[in-house]
This record gives sequence, structure tokens and C-alpha cells, in this order.
Amino acid sequence: MLSRSGIGQKYVYLAAALLVAALAPQLARATLGEPETTIAADAAELKASVKSTEQTNYRVHEIQLPSGTVLREFATVGGIVFAVAWSGPAMPNLQQTLGSYFDVYVTAAKAPHAGHRHLQVQQDNFVMQSSGRMRAFTGRAYLPQAVPAGVSLDELH
Amino acid sequence: MDKFKRALGGGLAMLLSLATVSCGGGGDTVAPSSSGVTTVAAASNVVAVTVDAGPDSASAPTINTLYTTVTVCVPGSTTECQAIDHIQVDTGSYGLRILAPVLTLSLPVTVASDGNSLVECTQFVDGYSWGPIASADVQIAGESASSVPVQVIGSSKFATVPTACSSTGPAEDTVAQFGANGILGIGVFEQDCGAGCVNSAAPGYYYSCSQTTCSPIAASLASQVLNPVPLFATDNNGTILVLPSVAANGAASVSGSLIFGIDTESNNNSGTQTILTVAPGSSQTVLPGNFTTVYGGQSLSDSFIDSGTNGLFFNDSSIPACTSSNFTGFYCPASTLSRSATLTGVNNVSTTVDFSIANAQTLATNNPTYTAFSTLGGTYSSSTTTFDWGLPFYFGRRVATAIENHSTSVGTGPYVAF
Repeated sequence: MLSRSGIGQKYVYLAAALLVAALAPQLARATLGEPETTIAADAAELKASVKSTEQTNYRVHEIQLPSGTVLREFATVGGIVFAVAWSGPAMPNLQQTLGSYFDVYVTAAKAPHAGHRHLQVQQDNFVMQSSGRMRAFTGRAYLPQAVPAGVSLDELH
Repeated sequence: MDKFKRALGGGLAMLLSLATVSCGGGGDTVAPSSSGVTTVAAASNVVAVTVDAGPDSASAPTINTLYTTVTVCVPGSTTECQAIDHIQVDTGSYGLRILAPVLTLSLPVTVASDGNSLVECTQFVDGYSWGPIASADVQIAGESASSVPVQVIGSSKFATVPTACSSTGPAEDTVAQFGANGILGIGVFEQDCGAGCVNSAAPGYYYSCSQTTCSPIAASLASQVLNPVPLFATDNNGTILVLPSVAANGAASVSGSLIFGIDTESNNNSGTQTILTVAPGSSQTVLPGNFTTVYGGQSLSDSFIDSGTNGLFFNDSSIPACTSSNFTGFYCPASTLSRSATLTGVNNVSTTVDFSIANAQTLATNNPTYTAFSTLGGTYSSSTTTFDWGLPFYFGRRVATAIENHSTSVGTGPYVAF
């Protein structure tokens, strides 16, 4: 459920992301919290194929990576990637996929945690759930404050 | 207390997550050792396995981590050999990996298809390990395999890590981080990557490295890091882990057996075990190696049994999580809880498993030198579909792991049976 402040936050993200895109287009990637417009270009660079589908209040771009892993990027109707999810034999490039949130993940991964086959990062503005083992990885990351109203977290996989 | 936190602070690693504190000399207590349910007689296809505090027990003690000793030799040599202790026994990975600092031999590095050196980026959920592929003769008990591709992690020869590898997380390339001198991956598959790495040069797996640069390269099945078991001359269709049961409050250490082969000798008969087949290596719907666990009314379709996990990890919001930051991610119920789950293989065969979850903080505090706990559990990342049956599952059981496309008297892998 999105609060009023959450909606406000979404537009702040949007404005900030567009500004970044305008000022430094080379930095704009198909990355969490950033515009979806570069997904096609990124996919070409990754030699990956993309299949896009429209849902009621978001779009899903399904990217088949060369490793065999499927990466799904969820974008708002305003064009901002608010969630990413992956499943397959290899981890995706998390630095590109998570963007500015990559450092949060690295900090969590370096900290003591229970077990080695799963990792959870739970913050107000960033959630990541990653699990699996050799040849079988699955996970997702999303921005709770940017998830469109009416979208269930169960849809983000 | 400082010591307590330090022990945890070093615990980035694979399995060290719950602190155990060495008593710092003196103060040894008389601890019950685990009781044996099944004793396996010495044989050429049996190697001893142990649960103890690990290779760095003073500064980075481990919990519920199963070890054995593996001998590696320079290919073709009978004199240039090294027995390496505290190699972790892991049914959740494939192939032998050795930490470079413990390796005293000079093993030949594998040549990639373009003539450069073959180097791998091994991915984990919480980081990566980078190092060259080398060739070694591998001996475990009376079993041996020649010229096995193994990974040497953290080798100083290839110190520059490509961005596509380092972008998967923090590096895990020290004995302290691993909680082991190496890993023996003996899960249900033969290769650590499989067909995906043959067909394309996928970033984040195999690399061709010259003196100066590395770039992704395809790797044939034979050149990938290989589970050594299928390479043995005999007893090569799988393994059986036999571990004694462990008391509810834990054990100082555990001694068990790893048997090679299933239905190949008089000591490794399948008998009437329940066989759960798991998803094949090519599976896309259910991830490879996984099966379904029904727990608390939820069907968890990406579940697995894994000796390389140090607890039972699953989600149950009715079990209180530990509140101490030293035990984040583990369960801390007021009293030990009894639970039950139904495991269903890809073959639709089902069986029920009973287990107990105790208070992790109480377990560690009451017996700080114990290294084996049958009742240790924790949360899995929420909204996932996994029940991770870690090492506690193996205590008191005889668990067979049959390798993909290899047959036993009762079926064809990939399957697990117990």
C-alpha cells in the first residue's frame, strides 16, 4: 500500500532520474530506480533478447541473458524501473542491475549473516532477496516506495 | 564478549554465521560426542567426515560445517602430492576448489580454447571467488581420478578481477571467509556450469586470461570444474553421507562417513530408501537440483537438500526470530519446537520429515564450544519458494545423492534418497 508521502517520493525519484538522464545519458542504464528507456540498448550490449509486456499499471521487460538467466525489469507507467527479478544458472550483473543500491548489497553481503545460500536486505527504501546455489539462483530487488499502487509484491518475480 | 563479537565479525563466510566461542584455553568441559546410528566399516570407498570448528578455529570458528581430507597430486606424479584437511563436503555445489594459500603444489593451469589461461568466476549469493582452473590427480579414500579440473581460489597469478565478476559482490577468497581450506562439490551434477558455458561466453563464469587482460570465453564440458565422483574408475554414480544423530542441545563434534558409489559395493546398497528425483540440469521452470517441500500449507517449489548449508532455513512467521544482532536471521523460540514438512520429488514421490527448531542464542550460549547443532534454523528470504534443508537434515540419516544420468539399482540421477 502506497502512502501519500510514498507517492510524493515516487515523483522525486522520477524527476531525479530524468535529470540524471538528461545531464549524463551515458550513465542511464536499465537499472533499479532509473529510466527504462535504455533497456533495449543495454540488452544489445549484453547480447540479450528482450520481451516486453504491459500490465495494468506497470510494464515488464524480460531479458534473456547469455548465461541462461532470465532478468525481469518492472517499470512504472512513468518509465522508472521500480523492481528487478532474476532466475537461472548465474547471478546477473548486480552492479548494473542494482545501480546506486549495489553498495548497500555489498555491505550486507560482507556483514555476518545466517547461512550462505540466501541474503536479505531490508531497508525502508530498498529491499533485496537473493538465494540459491551453483547453477540455481533466484532473487529480486525493489524500491518499496516506488511500487505503483495496486501492485502486489507477489507479482514481482 | 569482545571475543564473541570478533568471532562473528570474521564471519562473512560461507557457513560461519552463528558465533561459537572458543573457551580460550582451559575451561574445557566434558562434552557428549554425537551418538552413532550407523557405523560404516573402513573400506576403500569410505572416507571419514567430521564436523568441528574448522581450519581457523581460534579466530573464525565454524558451525555445522562438514569436512573431509582430500589428496591432490601433480598430474601423473606419485610423489608431488598434498593431503589437504578441512575441505568442506558440499552437496550443493560441483567440483573441487582449493584456497591458494593452503596449496603447496604447483599445479598446471588449464589452457583455454584460445591458448590463454582458463580462469573462473565462481558465484555465490553473497559474493564471488576468482581463480584459475588447474589440473590435479584427486585421491579420496581408495578412489582416484586423473587430471581433474579444479579451481585454485585467490591465486596471486591472476590478481586482477574482471568487472563482470567483481560486480557480483564482495570477494570470498580467504580460508577465514570460506571457513574451509577448500570445497568438495559432490552434488547431483557433473559440471559446475554445464551446457550454458559451452554454448556461449557468459560473463561471470569462465574467462580467458593473458598476462594483462581477461575476457569471457566458452568452456567445454570437459574443461569445466568437475565433480570428481563421476571420474572415479568405480563407485562413480553418486555418494552416500552417513552422519550420526546429534543431541537436541548439540555436540562438540561429529564423526561420520562419506561412501562413494550407490549399489556398487556391499556397503552402499539403496535398500528401501525413499527416492526423490530433482529437477535436471536443463530445467528452466524449477531450478536445477530442486524439488518441492510443503510446509505450513505453502508449497515451496525450489527446495533443496544441501550439506553446505549450516541450518534449516525456511519461513515461518509464527517462530520468533532472534533479536540479538549476533544471531540475525536465526530462530529463537522460547522453547524447542517440533515441526513437520512433506517433501515431494519431481517423480511425485512424497515423504514426511519431522524436525525441531531450538533457540539459536541459547544453543550457542549454553555450549559455546559445540560445533554441531541438529535444531538450528532460521528464516529464508521472505517471498521466496525455498526450504533449504541444510546439514541438520543429514544428522541421524543416510542420505544418497545420485548424479545426473548415472544409474543405481533403484533409479537414475539426479535424485536424493534417504
